[in-house]
Amino acid sequence: MINSKMICKIMGSLFFIEAGFLILCALLAIYYKETDLTAFLSSAAITAGAGIVFSIFGKNAERKISRRDGYVVVSLAWIFFSLFGMLPFYLSGYIPSITDAFFETMSGFTTTGASILDNIESLPHGLLFWRSMTQWIGGLGIVFFTIAVLPIFGVGGVQLFAAEATGPTHDKVHPRIGVTAKWIWSIYLGLTIAEVFLLLLGGMDVFDSVCHSLTTTATGGYSTKQNSIAAFHSPYIEYVITLFMFLSGINFTLLFLFFLKGKFKRLIENTEFHWYLGTVGCFTLFTTVTLVLTSPMGIEESFRKAIFQVVSLQTTTGFISADYMTWVPVLWTLMCIIMLFGACAGSTSGGIKCIRIAIMSRVSRNEFKRIIHPNAVLPVRINRQVISSTTKSAILAFTFLYIAIVFIGWLLLMILGVGFEEAYSVVISSLGNVGPGIGKCGPSYSWSGLPDMAKWISALLMLIGRLELFTVLLLFTPGFWKKH
Amino acid sequence: MKIIIAGAGAVGTHLAKLLSGEKQDIILMDENEEKLSKLDSNFDLMTVNASPTSISGLKNAGVAGADLFIGVMPEESRNMTACMLATNLGAKKTVARIDNYEYLLPKHKEFFSHLGVHSLIYPEMLAAKEIVDAIKMSWIRQWWEFCGGALVLIGTKMRETAEILNVPLHELGGRNIPFHIVAIKRGNETIIPRGDDTIKLHDIVYFTTTKKYIPYIRKIAGKENYADVRNVMIMGGSRIAVRTTQYVPEYMQVKIIENDINRCNRLTEVVDDKVMIINGDGRDMDLLLEEGLRNTEAFVALTDNSETNILACLAAKRMGVTKTVAEVENIDYISMAESLDIGTVINKKMIAASHIYQMMLDADVSNVKCLTFANADVAEFTVKAGSRITKDAIKDMGLPKGVTIGGLIRNGEGILVTGNTIIQPEDHVVVFCLGMMIKKAEKFFN
Repeated sequence: MINSKMICKIMGSLFFIEAGFLILCALLAIYYKETDLTAFLSSAAITAGAGIVFSIFGKNAERKISRRDGYVVVSLAWIFFSLFGMLPFYLSGYIPSITDAFFETMSGFTTTGASILDNIESLPHGLLFWRSMTQWIGGLGIVFFTIAVLPIFGVGGVQLFAAEATGPTHDKVHPRIGVTAKWIWSIYLGLTIAEVFLLLLGGMDVFDSVCHSLTTTATGGYSTKQNSIAAFHSPYIEYVITLFMFLSGINFTLLFLFFLKGKFKRLIENTEFHWYLGTVGCFTLFTTVTLVLTSPMGIEESFRKAIFQVVSLQTTTGFISADYMTWVPVLWTLMCIIMLFGACAGSTSGGIKCIRIAIMSRVSRNEFKRIIHPNAVLPVRINRQVISSTTKSAILAFTFLYIAIVFIGWLLLMILGVGFEEAYSVVISSLGNVGPGIGKCGPSYSWSGLPDMAKWISALLMLIGRLELFTVLLLFTPGFWKKH
Repeated sequence: MKIIIAGAGAVGTHLAKLLSGEKQDIILMDENEEKLSKLDSNFDLMTVNASPTSISGLKNAGVAGADLFIGVMPEESRNMTACMLATNLGAKKTVARIDNYEYLLPKHKEFFSHLGVHSLIYPEMLAAKEIVDAIKMSWIRQWWEFCGGALVLIGTKMRETAEILNVPLHELGGRNIPFHIVAIKRGNETIIPRGDDTIKLHDIVYFTTTKKYIPYIRKIAGKENYADVRNVMIMGGSRIAVRTTQYVPEYMQVKIIENDINRCNRLTEVVDDKVMIINGDGRDMDLLLEEGLRNTEAFVALTDNSETNILACLAAKRMGVTKTVAEVENIDYISMAESLDIGTVINKKMIAASHIYQMMLDADVSNVKCLTFANADVAEFTVKAGSRITKDAIKDMGLPKGVTIGGLIRNGEGILVTGNTIIQPEDHVVVFCLGMMIKKAEKFFN
């Protein structure tokens, strides 16, 4: 059944890694001589303590991970990371409520970027850095990160990868999962470092550029400023961040082939990339034209705000360069639709993802053809490969569940007294790991006004969305726990 | 080592699983996506959904940097084509599975190597050889050779006549016994024995020894009264059966029982005159008795159906046949068949996979390679100068429990080890250990 000892053992090592990151923040607190030092040290101590307890419990574990174990490990890892990750916020007293602290951390790890903080600038540097760090760790996945740095997953790496990776199919860049993870992470690290340099050139200070780079490549969206990117008033910075959000929305395997192997064709000819480019292009064009016609902004500014906002929401980053609630209402709805779309599978973004949209639209097109040619054999081809019917039905089931969860969540939030547009935008935004919503949860507000229960629901939705529905929901099916 | 396996059939998948457990970079190619998808999400390997005979597919799989290319698709000609393409696209070494005896002749080796196919493997022939080995030495269950036969491993089941039952191993004739007991299989449990363990009735005991002491082992295992096989009955006229008739020694009489009359006619064309072909159902006991089952010493069941083979062997055993051999293609049934007292179980896929594996061993013995054998791992190490194992006599080494040294090969000659043996650098040491111990054993050699 479930190999609980091995699960404990893995969790134990994961906690040590988290404790390591907390120590890193503590060093920052020492450097800036700020008050959050004790909070970080005690959080690190508690996390490492839990790590020791779990490791002791997992001693002499049978080194075997089944698929079930993989799903349990991944779901628990995200929950426990958030539980320990909220300690610095809570212990330092900057976020006095447990609900808020957990929400903020879960929003970080899942790279959602929705915040309950109403005065972000008042936080000490250590905590600000920790917020950004949570997103960076969560970007490609907590467990995936561990596969890359630790050899402990001599067994079961594949099962864990399958439970955490996004997208309907997973491609590898190397036969061994550990090496694949290392390459993907070096691309990720490379993007982050490149962005830090470009932001520094744009006049951002070191701390802000590091924090923003961490959250851009993770498509997270936590900023060190309450007004997000709009606070910098710099077209250069907006363009740089747009570029990196866009890059982080591409499948990292393709980026690997593009940057390190020089296989340009693989990227250029990739069907999902076409859809990504096409949707971003169309949405940007529509938004730009609407803005030029309805707002006092000039063409360049309209284009800049439009492309930034479209890319930010489609890659599910959630940075803000302009409050789109001040735009015409048709654009609010458009923004919500963009949030549903998402970028590419195998990237750091959330949402339904272009590959699924591409496949579903071709399935739908085939249904029309079938009416005219009832006996035709109609394959769905992606990148010249025929998509199997199991993949197709998995995608349809995914989309059905996605829409169903949006409606259920919407209803639940309405029951809790959240307003109409706030409720649906919060649900879409949480499930897609985006960040801002519309109305009172829009770009210029935080989500602190939501009832406590709504925050827990929203945090759960973030986790469900980040692990692509099935991984988390599977744990709630009775069949998963049955012995046969 | 980067290894490309073309064809995700039974042999290919078995080999891929075996090698991916050993930190090799495995790329498995097949045109059928369904065959690949199950492996892709459960094993640490990469799958490429492309035809192994397509140039773009091979390039996509990274054939240019491959150390070994293995063609194990069902069709011989495709394997050959794939291997030729692979060599010319940059693969260092290629192996093709074939169905043709002619290709294997030594005089053609150079020719095929020139074409780009470096090694050939013929599973049916290997299986036939194994069957003949098994019936020639009917008292042995398992037979394994290390370094071209310098050291052999023998597995045999203990009956009441064995001389070594219920004696602690350290009392078994002091220091100079010409064998070493490396593993004992008792029921479903595998034991790596220590000096105070004893051998019990019905254990399967694995000995390592050199070839000249095999008769001595036969004596102490109490198998001397085992009748030598003179009459063999083969059920099912498959290709393996044909090969088997070609390898049996002169003094054996072979009868093949085949149900299909057309196949019988075909068999008469390909086998020697002294082989008798009988048209009938091998499950028909009356027929078997009429054909002299009672005077037969070995019964070999080689039909396509694993279940039929197992049951027919059981029936033959009941009729008093001492040696039974069953072809079991369903890997999960193998341990069950063994526990049912079927003398030797033949599995074409495992034979082919372990042969390829053995070829890799011979090519590169500097690394640890292991092979699962009766739930224990067998690893070959080349001892490095200055490693811990060379420092002291084996008995003072403090080897962990569950690890034993089966023997060593020094300058091509097999040497059995005792507690006082001191291992020298450049020796090839054969180590037996229980599943998890391989890492601990490794420390002693590096």
